[in-house]
Amino acid sequence: MTTAPRRLAPRLILTALGLVAGGVVGAAIARLTKAGVIDLDALGWSDKAAVLIAVCLMALGLITAVASFNRRAAGRMMDPDEGRPATPGQLALYRDQGLVLFLAGVMMAAPVAALTLFDPLPAPIASAVMMAIVAGFLVQTAYNIVVWRRGDELMRRVISDTGAVCFWVLQGLLFLWAAAEKLNLAPVLSTWDVMTILMGFYLLISSVISIRRGLA
Amino acid sequence: MKNRLKVLRAERDWSQADLADRLEVSRQTVNAIETGKYDPSLPLAFKIGRLFGLPIETLFDDEASS
Repeated sequence: MTTAPRRLAPRLILTALGLVAGGVVGAAIARLTKAGVIDLDALGWSDKAAVLIAVCLMALGLITAVASFNRRAAGRMMDPDEGRPATPGQLALYRDQGLVLFLAGVMMAAPVAALTLFDPLPAPIASAVMMAIVAGFLVQTAYNIVVWRRGDELMRRVISDTGAVCFWVLQGLLFLWAAAEKLNLAPVLSTWDVMTILMGFYLLISSVISIRRGLA
Repeated sequence: MKNRLKVLRAERDWSQADLADRLEVSRQTVNAIETGKYDPSLPLAFKIGRLFGLPIETLFDDEASS
């Protein structure tokens, strides 16, 4: 009789935390917009989508990384049904995943943030931001490999399946769009537009495959 | 692919997490195998066989032989 509420509690807590975090982020963006620090109307659709994805990635990464410092919290987040404390190996994996997600969000937000905060963007600042992105990318790649090695075979299978589906679908769509664009039948997309679509699609497919395979 | 993992685990009174610890995989992996959402790799299938002391063809049924 007590099983159902116990299983529901972690999910409700996570949902409540998500709502609070979303409210705080929304309020902060509203204040910055009102103060004239950022101009949302000046951002293109792909910039807005990239920032949204980046904020989600950073929030998820932060929550995951913070939870990895507490065995019980990490255990509940990983597996609400079982609720056992996480092992040291699981904590390390969780911490690495948190870092990978957080860095992905920072790297995605950085170009848009730089362009929003500095208008026009001076070349030295643009170069500094680019160097930071490259450094972050190298660190993130290293940690992605660590996550791959630390994960078990189901996790590796989900990562492989996601990569395969994304490649086959997106290369086909990219070809069709490029052909239509060449024939002046479709609007021109920038590489930033394409990257944002790719990232959004990747996250969607990753979630679907995780659920289908039983990882999430 | 069908398998007898859930039955064998229940006979030993192991939880999914207990079995996952013995196989050095996550509980989600055990659950995914039991529910047929994921077919284990050959090395993991052999490991399961060794753990239960059974040949893998008695653990898994590819439904082609029936």
